[in-house]
Amino acid sequence: METPGISSSMPDIAVASLYQRNLVTRHTGRAVRLSIEGLVSELGATSLTVLDFGDVAVIDFSCADEVVAKLVLRAVDEVSAESEHFFVFKGVAQHHVDPMDSALKRRGLAAAAEGPEGEPFLIGDIEPVASRLWLAVCEAGHACLDDLAPALGMEQGDCGRLLDRMCARRLLRRDGQAYHSLFYTFAEAERAGNGRGTTGPDAPDGAPPSARE
Amino acid sequence: MSRVIEVPDVLDHKGFEVLIRALNQVTQEEAARVLFNAKHVRWTSPYGLIGLLAAGRVAYERTGFAPSIEAPDNREVRGYWERMDFWHVAPDVYDLEPVPARVHGASDALLEITPIRSHHDVHAVVEKVRERAATILLNKLHYARPSVIQFSVLLSEVCQNIIEHAEADGWVCAQTYNYRERLGRDVVQLAVMDVGIGFEGSLSAEHSRRHGERWSAGMALERALLHGESRHRDPGRGQGLQAIRRQVDRWHGELGIRSGDAMIASPTQEWGDLAHMRTGLENFPGAQILVVMPAHVENE
Repeated sequence: METPGISSSMPDIAVASLYQRNLVTRHTGRAVRLSIEGLVSELGATSLTVLDFGDVAVIDFSCADEVVAKLVLRAVDEVSAESEHFFVFKGVAQHHVDPMDSALKRRGLAAAAEGPEGEPFLIGDIEPVASRLWLAVCEAGHACLDDLAPALGMEQGDCGRLLDRMCARRLLRRDGQAYHSLFYTFAEAERAGNGRGTTGPDAPDGAPPSARE
Repeated sequence: MSRVIEVPDVLDHKGFEVLIRALNQVTQEEAARVLFNAKHVRWTSPYGLIGLLAAGRVAYERTGFAPSIEAPDNREVRGYWERMDFWHVAPDVYDLEPVPARVHGASDALLEITPIRSHHDVHAVVEKVRERAATILLNKLHYARPSVIQFSVLLSEVCQNIIEHAEADGWVCAQTYNYRERLGRDVVQLAVMDVGIGFEGSLSAEHSRRHGERWSAGMALERALLHGESRHRDPGRGQGLQAIRRQVDRWHGELGIRSGDAMIASPTQEWGDLAHMRTGLENFPGAQILVVMPAHVENE
């Protein structure tokens, strides 16, 4: 596969720990989301934020809507030539999937996730063919239409439309002719020193986010 | 002189209907103190127990006087009420001296009666049940391990229904017992109640005009539980109840929601006694939610 160079549009990256064992109630979700939005606003015009669910024991449907679905919704809705914001949900275990998947589907959204063992998968409203294509890009790290379409036995036009649609849905990042997985983008940005290190939505003082809202 | 309401000897969801019929009769008359006579109660379910708090709160609001209550004579019932912290919570409603909360050891109560006033209470409830839920759901109901987290999610969503929609405080409690006559198995019963604006009141502004004269408590329950509609236009809202319904169905349990003069149930089970929809019940404010989760058996 062709290996295009890394463009100057390499995003700023941040890892947000959630500092909440129980992500329950819409109120808490709203507070967590506002904190993450504050964090994203401090990053550059193009950013990729990883939300780490590794320590989250419980997430309910209301909180999943406030945190996961609304962050993705805003990233997808804010269409601008100057800015692009991406989210990846890391450490997503089986018990997180049902609320996150349901919340995203109700809004017709999808999100890139990584399981506890690092396996990539999509959650939310996504066609199986798009999911296969997305996994192929994840496996390659980055790839061009000319390589992907024949590898998946797809028409170039259909494949291109699907890839561009996934970029618009913030599931992939396009750089010139190449489509980059968000995991590859993160690793490259980290190598390029674009990272903001591990940070949290707010100071981990043990107080619920509501207390800091 | 107080007007006396006889509390049914079996205080479950059916007994609750009898109780509120008596309450509505008594409080239609001239305002006076109300006495709830529970001396003859010989069995109480979690739904019935917090139903007694809900009925007491309504009596208080209608008469302007905190009602009195006579404790059950039956020692087992008295013990159960104590274990469920009834006497600790009851002074918020009844004319009683405050009683400190018990120190709980091993108990068949999955969750003692807990007032729900804010999202902090929901957090506290989810945190509180984790260990007990693991013990009871895995060892008594023989559910798979993920059910412990699924139960926490369910609990959080039903309690949030109070905070997000009731515009009033409420209560939650859960207990395991053997549902001998009908099922011959252990069940967990979870009950959540408030005496707020109810489903009809909550959904009215957004939906009543569309349905005109057909708009009722029953229709509001149907729109919320079966179609995921809420008072908000936001498509992200209204998924909680549907999620609860799906989860209860996976556990082959029953979910019933009473509001106003109607009660809807979905899913229902052959062993249960909840009808898919009942209307024309005694009017009662707020929402009363009943979840029954039966022990898992191999061939199910």
